[in-house]
Amino acid sequence: MPIGPFGIDPAIWAVLRLIIAVGLAVFLVLNGALAQIYLERKIQAVIQDRLGPMHTGPFGLLQTFADAIKLLAKEDVRARLTDASFFIVAPAIVFSPMLASFVVLPFAPDFVAANLNIGILYLTTLGSMTVLGIVIAGWASNNKYSLMGGLRSAAQLISYEVPQILALVTVVLVVGSLSMIDLTNSQPGLLVNFLILPFAFVTYFIAALAETNRAPFDLPEAESELVAGFLTEYSGMRWSVFFLSEYGEVTVVCAIMTTLWFGGWHGPGVDALPILGVAWFTLKTYFFVLVFMWIRATLPRLRIDQLMSFCWKILIPLALVNIMSTAVLVLAFPGNLLPIAIVNWGLLIGLILGLPVVQRRRLRALRGRVDARALRGLPT
Amino acid sequence: MTHVPLGAFIAVSAMLFFIGCAGVLMRRNAVVILMCVELMLNAANLALVAFSRRLPAADERGSVFVTFVFVIAAAEVAVGLAIVLAAYRNRPSVDVDEARAMRG
Amino acid sequence: MFDLIEPIVFVLLSVALVGAGAAVVLLRRITSGALLMAFTFLCIAGMFVLLGAETIAAFQVLIYVGAITVLILYGVMFTPQSPRSYPLFFQRQTPLAAVFVALIAVPVVFIALSFRDGGPPASGGGDLVPLATSLFGPFAFPFEVASVLLLAAMIGAIALVKREDPLDDEFGEERL
Repeated sequence: MPIGPFGIDPAIWAVLRLIIAVGLAVFLVLNGALAQIYLERKIQAVIQDRLGPMHTGPFGLLQTFADAIKLLAKEDVRARLTDASFFIVAPAIVFSPMLASFVVLPFAPDFVAANLNIGILYLTTLGSMTVLGIVIAGWASNNKYSLMGGLRSAAQLISYEVPQILALVTVVLVVGSLSMIDLTNSQPGLLVNFLILPFAFVTYFIAALAETNRAPFDLPEAESELVAGFLTEYSGMRWSVFFLSEYGEVTVVCAIMTTLWFGGWHGPGVDALPILGVAWFTLKTYFFVLVFMWIRATLPRLRIDQLMSFCWKILIPLALVNIMSTAVLVLAFPGNLLPIAIVNWGLLIGLILGLPVVQRRRLRALRGRVDARALRGLPT
Repeated sequence: MTHVPLGAFIAVSAMLFFIGCAGVLMRRNAVVILMCVELMLNAANLALVAFSRRLPAADERGSVFVTFVFVIAAAEVAVGLAIVLAAYRNRPSVDVDEARAMRG
Repeated sequence: MFDLIEPIVFVLLSVALVGAGAAVVLLRRITSGALLMAFTFLCIAGMFVLLGAETIAAFQVLIYVGAITVLILYGVMFTPQSPRSYPLFFQRQTPLAAVFVALIAVPVVFIALSFRDGGPPASGGGDLVPLATSLFGPFAFPFEVASVLLLAAMIGAIALVKREDPLDDEFGEERL
């Protein structure tokens, strides 16, 4: 009898693997959202020197469960002038691609529901479908704040998809595969891709913040300008489906970062006990989730024009330079990663040092324009 | 596994193509005409991929053409919408029947 | 039983495809039309998966659903719905167009049905590697030309919708 992984018959393992992977996906989405909301509140509280939720359960641990029950029990409200079919279908359009993307996440060796050979392309594809749901939600709400939020969101998501994909392509160029498993297996030791391609990581990280509508790029739902953006007319279960998919997407992009740049399931003890990979993968993913929350509590929100010009004038050109140099170096020095690493670190340092200089020049030009308009009596 | 025959794919593709074609001829809203052109392009894509996968060929020639069609479709929609928006800015209508300033 | 999965999926997809396509043409509400168009794009992606072309399917969803549909929705939102409210079938050109299209369509569909597979279907392993080797091998030059076309389209679209500002020469393109 052939012995599969963990000493189980391969025929049974194939089915079992599928069930475990799908179960993990649903577990991660539903409980992950609850855990992330709790973490978000607690971390914001710690950073702002507060206690955060404390009353429901020990340390307020049951607070998010109570909130979930409240949301489930809420009356299903739909304003009369909303566009019924679109209004109802929009949360589903946002939620289902997010759930589908958990299929290819490599939790541990042999813990993948589907090892697609286009894994990372599949993930980007599903990520791009979110835009449609958000635009439709904004349109169907028949509310100017919702519409503005939806349109802003579409502009933002389409723009930031470009640097995101460019960053992913850099890694794919170096590793030579689109499969999530091959990408993980390419970095078994301490030499993770982050040390070779830090600039690609930073590009992806910034773009991922924007893709998931997280602060400082949470303009589509900027409370101070747009009430709640495309979420304004939503309440109860439909609102929580949007919320759930937002946290699910954060998990997905963090899992992509873990897989592509930080070795995925690899960690001490995985060779002896493959199931430990799930723990490593989850730990690494949640580390990035925590960084996302830390950033939300730290940075102020950008303005919409800053957001767009940062993407198109700084991030995309630099990502293109990066992809070009990486492609040339991969061909020029096959098997040698040192030149790529040097160029990438150079680009990263250039970005960090150059950004203040560029911003100062831009600000000066903007102020000059405003002053000139005031002088000539033109509308600003 | 029972495979769907090539003819079935091509027939569906032809139906979709003519649906799009009818749309281009029948509708007057410029945006809807753009949408119908996209449908026709998609039908052509389906036929190309079906031929490329089901007929023996060394390389994925049909799929390569489909990639080019994607590029052209993206360019076409971007420029087409820009033209529609620019035209709308000058005259408050996107009805193609009313865009006849060039008619003698 | 698993034998019939492919034909069943094909029939479902083609019914959805033709139905949604017809609805795009016939529905008066443009927003519904745009959403149904996205649905036909998804169905076509499903057809590509049935044909074993997953990479093309992924591109299809990425470009058509993720980008083109959103652009068209923008177009729908920024332009007014048609002020003329008479039904589609009383327009002058409609019956003529329908008859004309049907006259060509019926024989073409019947000819299309007669196509036969030209040998054993392509083996598994997906279309990623053959597609990439063709695209960057014999088709490298057209590929580059396509990228130039995209660049030209981008510049053209920006130039078409850009508003002129007398201060641009002096202070560059930066806006508040």
